[in-house]
Amino acid sequence: MSRAVQSVESAEASLVQVRDLRTHIGGKTVFDRLSLDVPRGSVTAIMGPSGTGKTTLLRHITGQLRGDSGSVHVDGEDVAALSRNALFTLRERIGFLFQNSALLTDFNVFENVAFPLRQHTRLPEVLVRNIVLTKLQAVGLRGAAQLMPSELSGGMARRVALARAIVFDPMLILYDEPFVGLDPIALNQVLRLIRTLNRTLGITSILVAHELAAVRQVADRVYLIANGKLVAQGTPDELAREATPWTRQFFGGEADGPVPFHYPAPDYANDLGFAGGATR
Amino acid sequence: MNAQLQPRRNWLVNGIAQVGECGLFFLAILAALPKSLRYLREICRQVWFVGAMSLVIVMTCGLFTGMVLALQLYYTLSIFGGTAALGTVVALALFRELGPVLTAILVAGRAGTAVTAEIGLMRATDQIDAMEMMAVDPMAYIVAPRYLAGVIAMPLLMCLFNALGLFGGHLIGVTWLGVDNGTFWGNMTATIDLWKDILDGVWKSVAFGAVVMLIAVFQGYTTPPTSEGVAYSTTRTVVFSAIVILAVDFVLTAFLT
Repeated sequence: MSRAVQSVESAEASLVQVRDLRTHIGGKTVFDRLSLDVPRGSVTAIMGPSGTGKTTLLRHITGQLRGDSGSVHVDGEDVAALSRNALFTLRERIGFLFQNSALLTDFNVFENVAFPLRQHTRLPEVLVRNIVLTKLQAVGLRGAAQLMPSELSGGMARRVALARAIVFDPMLILYDEPFVGLDPIALNQVLRLIRTLNRTLGITSILVAHELAAVRQVADRVYLIANGKLVAQGTPDELAREATPWTRQFFGGEADGPVPFHYPAPDYANDLGFAGGATR
Repeated sequence: MNAQLQPRRNWLVNGIAQVGECGLFFLAILAALPKSLRYLREICRQVWFVGAMSLVIVMTCGLFTGMVLALQLYYTLSIFGGTAALGTVVALALFRELGPVLTAILVAGRAGTAVTAEIGLMRATDQIDAMEMMAVDPMAYIVAPRYLAGVIAMPLLMCLFNALGLFGGHLIGVTWLGVDNGTFWGNMTATIDLWKDILDGVWKSVAFGAVVMLIAVFQGYTTPPTSEGVAYSTTRTVVFSAIVILAVDFVLTAFLT
């Protein structure tokens, strides 16, 4: 009984709860009993070396992937246990910003942002137009409404994708590497948008990113994942000060450390044929 | 097991597994069809793309096929002194066999590959995942309308192919080789049976539309998200379509006649 009460309380406090998640993909362990919480209304950054499954974690949260054991709860619902229809209903309340923006290439900017509205509602055209233009204004691209995705720069495409992700005023937005490949101006624009959306609309945000400087400006909490486990957590400043090998290497940018510089390989001298040469 | 046999066995097992996957994919399309009827505009757009955009190639090929048929058959029939039957033979060959089969192969090459590449690139650029994330079922929005469009457009294209083929046959038989106009059309209309000859061809065409588009959308949907993957998938669409069209043609002909 007390456990149930506790879990309800923690569900109220955190929008996303990952508990003891284990995942194997293609014989490789991606997550090994991973647990973390994303508080409501916060900006949480997930960091870690490339290939540790940060994007995979986002796919668990959206129900595109299911773990071998453990659970992922979003807004109190066990994502893995949901039917396809229930999952789609949940996804209407989640915005997802893809690394490559994933705009629909057949439609112009306006129609891309209007797409979720047209699919899920029967709003009159005037209202659709107003909502779409409001969202485009929020990302500063109202003037680009008639452009095709192929005419946009990387930064603009990402802002359009962001407008599309917030068109339903979601409770949660997942950003998959939102800063990759952006010039400093575009990066700051996207950064400002993430912060504004969180502060003004209270949208909970989960951010997968590598850029420590950007994360420091925007994130309330950072989870550092490596080898399928949580290796460090805290505010960005706490982690930057912490002196564990993981944080030192990751935030100090050292080339060698817990994440080795060399990919596992047989003995170097042996590989070059010197070992046999010495005895010949 | 002999180690040398291993790759061959894998090839065979993979092949069988893929046919099985394709079958399951077909069931998934059928399940998504009712939902896809909501996207009437998308279906119309796809019928336009598969059908209207293939008009030129289908009609040109139809015309030349009819002309060649008339030339060849006139030569054969003249050996037996039966050139009066030219109209009938050209029409029978077109309606029963050449119309459905050649149209299907042309559509596989023109529209099937385009559909495969389009869906494959949507997969590679995360557009399919994005739709899933926007709670839009890609099977209902992307796959089923394209499939349906192929099934609708194929018999229509075949009819045009046949019409142009007959016109080509008339051009060569009557205008050039001097077969009597009345004999050409009179014998044809007297012999051709609406149900047995023309509708058999239409059923064949519907079946070809169904298999060609199934192969095209399946190859596109399961494309590895790389440029090489998309290239291989479009090639496979043409190769598999050609083989399956001729195999299905044999089976259908054996059952329908």
